[in-house]
Amino acid sequence: MSVKVYLVDDHRLFLAGVKAELSEEFTIVGSANDVDTAIEEIRGLDPDVVLIDVHMPDGGGVAVVEGVADTNPDVKFLALSVSDQAEDVIAMIRGGARGYVTKTIEPSDLSDAVRRINAGDAVFSPRLAGFVLDAFAGAMPSDDDPELDQLTSREKDVLRLIARGFAYKQVARKLNISIKTVETHVSSVLRKLQLSNRHELARWASKRRIV
Amino acid sequence: MVAGVAGGFADTLGVSDTFVRAAFVTLTMVWGLGVLVYLGMWLMQLDRVEDTEPDRVSAHQALGLGLAFAGLMLLLGVVGWWPSNALVITVGALAFGTAALTDRNMPGPLGALIDPTVERPGRLRIVVGVGLLIGGLTVFSANVGPIYEIGAVLLAVSLTGIGILVAFGPWVTRLARDLGTERRERIRQEERAEMAAHLHDSVLQTLALIQRSDDPARMSILARHQESELRDWLYGNAPLDGSDLLSTALRDSARRIEADHQVPIDVVVVGDHPMNETTRPLLGAASEAMVNAAKHSGADRVSLYFEADDDELVVYVTDQGKGFEIGEVADDRRGIAQSITGRVERAGGEAAIESEPGEGTEVVLRMRVSTG
Repeated sequence: MSVKVYLVDDHRLFLAGVKAELSEEFTIVGSANDVDTAIEEIRGLDPDVVLIDVHMPDGGGVAVVEGVADTNPDVKFLALSVSDQAEDVIAMIRGGARGYVTKTIEPSDLSDAVRRINAGDAVFSPRLAGFVLDAFAGAMPSDDDPELDQLTSREKDVLRLIARGFAYKQVARKLNISIKTVETHVSSVLRKLQLSNRHELARWASKRRIV
Repeated sequence: MVAGVAGGFADTLGVSDTFVRAAFVTLTMVWGLGVLVYLGMWLMQLDRVEDTEPDRVSAHQALGLGLAFAGLMLLLGVVGWWPSNALVITVGALAFGTAALTDRNMPGPLGALIDPTVERPGRLRIVVGVGLLIGGLTVFSANVGPIYEIGAVLLAVSLTGIGILVAFGPWVTRLARDLGTERRERIRQEERAEMAAHLHDSVLQTLALIQRSDDPARMSILARHQESELRDWLYGNAPLDGSDLLSTALRDSARRIEADHQVPIDVVVVGDHPMNETTRPLLGAASEAMVNAAKHSGADRVSLYFEADDDELVVYVTDQGKGFEIGEVADDRRGIAQSITGRVERAGGEAAIESEPGEGTEVVLRMRVSTG
């Protein structure tokens, strides 16, 4: 059965483009231009994957992710943005999105990302990998859960390779590990990003306005 | 003047507010009665209807109001609430005289002299006003001397001053307010003009270029270039705070190479380091590696990854292009490779080039930096 995809973007032209690119492989069940419509329709349609714009009026993508978190916990979100503002991207991921890509992504890479998200993996663009490395860099203050607040050196290796523009497959080969292991590392980083209450994360994100 | 009570009362009565103010000032001479009445009316004043054109009074009504006021003063005198004829007449005459010569709607003879468009006050008004002023001053000077103590004189003078302030105050404050509004408006317009000029020079030009171009790759480069430029402008990133940072220098260089060679370059930065003599060779070598990748690799995009920690700077320039056999490089390309590695090594760093045919190329540049 084809993957059900729902699109949310207040930019109609972009929406039309993505629809055309994805409709060959996926079933586009609907789309919305604003937060309220999106929440209502996602609740009713219960899609597998939602592509969501970070920047929209009335709360942006975060409002949608949070709006359906209770009613449709199985919906997976992939954030799309032109802005690359660390603050917004980190907020989206911490809100529950399982990945982040820029809107300049190649159509084939976007399809790949949707497939990956649907399979329950995390999708890190080079830029998000850079954000995460930057956010987790530096000396660690003592905290309740040090494991959540620090990346392992293997996770850092994986993120560095992603930041250098390598696909998961190439990352696996360079590190002599399986693609599955790469995915496990990335998912673990995502979990840390979402659950860590490392205080620097928020401070770092607001300080770091743009990349 | 203070709470708009006089103005509101004037609107209700239909007389000029300066006269109402003059009446208040005169009443104030009677043991501060004017101030009390003013405060009382201010407390009672509920919702005053704005922007209603008050009906102008006829001459008869004006005379009636004047007589009523005179009667009130007389009554106060009979009751015994009366400091002295001289004081009340002096201040009253000066206040009403000033009121006759000035008006919120007609800035008075002075204003009429400066601004010919202002309607001149009636001749009768000027005559009466000047007459009252002279009369008031005469009564005042006639009574200065043995009869009055210096305290009363000072009181009369200062109260007259307050009367003039009350009469002219609204006009002065309105002038100041108008100037403030005008200035704010001018600043807003300047900002708009500046933004319009900037958008015209950048975004509109780029859009025009994109419309004229039929090469998708070129369009994409133009759009990317404009995007990052606009972003810098919107968020004030590059020119002010980052001009002396290695990250900014690398981004600028990537942007130039991207525009020159029509290949997108993705830049990811972790950490940062100041731009100085030690880091300059790193920038030069990285730029050369980017040019090399853009020109020769055949890849549709190039990645630059820069990471700085406390004691080392690392730059990766990666492409997924056709790659080459390190041992079998044509002389000219070996030259380029050597110039990349040579630059960094002379500056005390390390450089490595990894490539395989069909697997793309990666240039790794490392340089140790001292902390602090």
